[in-house]
Amino acid sequence: MKYLIVLTITALLLAGCNHKKEDVKSCCSKEANQKSTSDLKESLPGTSVYQLEYIWEVHDGKKLLMRQLAGKPVVLTMIFTHCEYACPMMVNDLKKIEANFSEEDRKLFTFVLVSFDHLRDTPERLKEYASSQGLGENWILLHGDADQVKELSVVLNISYEMQENGSFSHSNRKLVLDSQGTIVYSQEGLQTKSEPVVVALKRLLKG
Amino acid sequence: MLLLSFVTISLSSQNRGMVLIPSGSYKPFIKGQADQLKVEHFWMDEKAVTNAEFLDFVKANPKWSRAQVKRLFADQDYLSHWRTDFVDQNNSQQGNAPVVNVSWFAANAYCTWQGKRLPTLSEWEYAASALPQGSKDSSSLQEIIANWYSRRSQVENDAAAFYKSEFGLWDMYGKVWEWVYDFNSVQYNEDSRNMEESPEGLFCGSASLNANDASDYATFIRYAFRGSLKGDFTVRKLGFRCAKTIENQQ
Repeated sequence: MKYLIVLTITALLLAGCNHKKEDVKSCCSKEANQKSTSDLKESLPGTSVYQLEYIWEVHDGKKLLMRQLAGKPVVLTMIFTHCEYACPMMVNDLKKIEANFSEEDRKLFTFVLVSFDHLRDTPERLKEYASSQGLGENWILLHGDADQVKELSVVLNISYEMQENGSFSHSNRKLVLDSQGTIVYSQEGLQTKSEPVVVALKRLLKG
Repeated sequence: MLLLSFVTISLSSQNRGMVLIPSGSYKPFIKGQADQLKVEHFWMDEKAVTNAEFLDFVKANPKWSRAQVKRLFADQDYLSHWRTDFVDQNNSQQGNAPVVNVSWFAANAYCTWQGKRLPTLSEWEYAASALPQGSKDSSSLQEIIANWYSRRSQVENDAAAFYKSEFGLWDMYGKVWEWVYDFNSVQYNEDSRNMEESPEGLFCGSASLNANDASDYATFIRYAFRGSLKGDFTVRKLGFRCAKTIENQQ
């Protein structure tokens, strides 16, 4: 009987925790801008990457739902900032793509870098990285927890594995998303040609 | 003592249908840094999730029904063996058979809904390495797998039909393949050569050459199959079971 009572209390406590979570969710979704993004979600295609529900932390300290990226084309990839070899090359690839566009045109799309490293790549760390790499205002760096990083990687078909020393082995894929978050082009590899990505982007910006 | 028994009771009541997999290690298929990979103890469903169980989930979460699921999360064959969106059975046995034609996202969502999670690849491989109860050598397990591969599809059998392992798990082999949480953690296709700081075994599709036991064809097939999956894929012989971390690990 005693166990039962303890169990019941435990269950209530657990239920209490769940409740709290829900409260936080419902409180935020009441806010006007969140509401508009939930309307937006209904209009997104079923294949849109922005169907993902998670809230990310941005390097500037803000919070972001993937679907808030809707409206502009996006070039998306996954990196981690302690990475010494592949990731700087990846960022370099993206910079080369950016160089094909005028200052004015660069405002029409967004580069999004999502970190594999949920432990070390805090928003503060990502902010330092963005400034050390000289990434402009059209670049967004995202931090999320282990589960949301995994889910995104599965959506993007990017494989990765954490090594014992805390670094990651991972595939190097960059993807172009249209303004609704649907993947229109993806490219595997490093030091790749900019041209196909630039062409995909220009096509989206024209359309 | 009182505290101990409380812990035991509370765990077992929260984890009905699960068995405790003790800490241990297994020999990884791909040669890496370690000969043996250590796995911490965890809870695992004693059998694969059934059609009837998955139907409960779909009814409670209609966004995971055939009609409402987003294409990002499941391809067009999602639950295609069900009679309708909310009827899982075409015959009387199917309710107790493992659910198949489910994507990784759907399997993940089901486990989360249950307060559980998908097992990791290491957890699954370690758990599956346990021999059938009462058997003393690994050939009995190899035999089960070989027989399974040579039979036609067994997906309509009860989720607990073929054998129970020393860990108390039903049919890790013999019926359906099972999703693992980190199925995309490693790749053996041409993408591998683009991996950074990869273990040598992953380069240039050389996984087969770096297998710990190249004659272990059954295991090679399983790893290759996993490597070919994408998260939205649904496959007629692919189901899943859930796992759960043991809280308060010291």
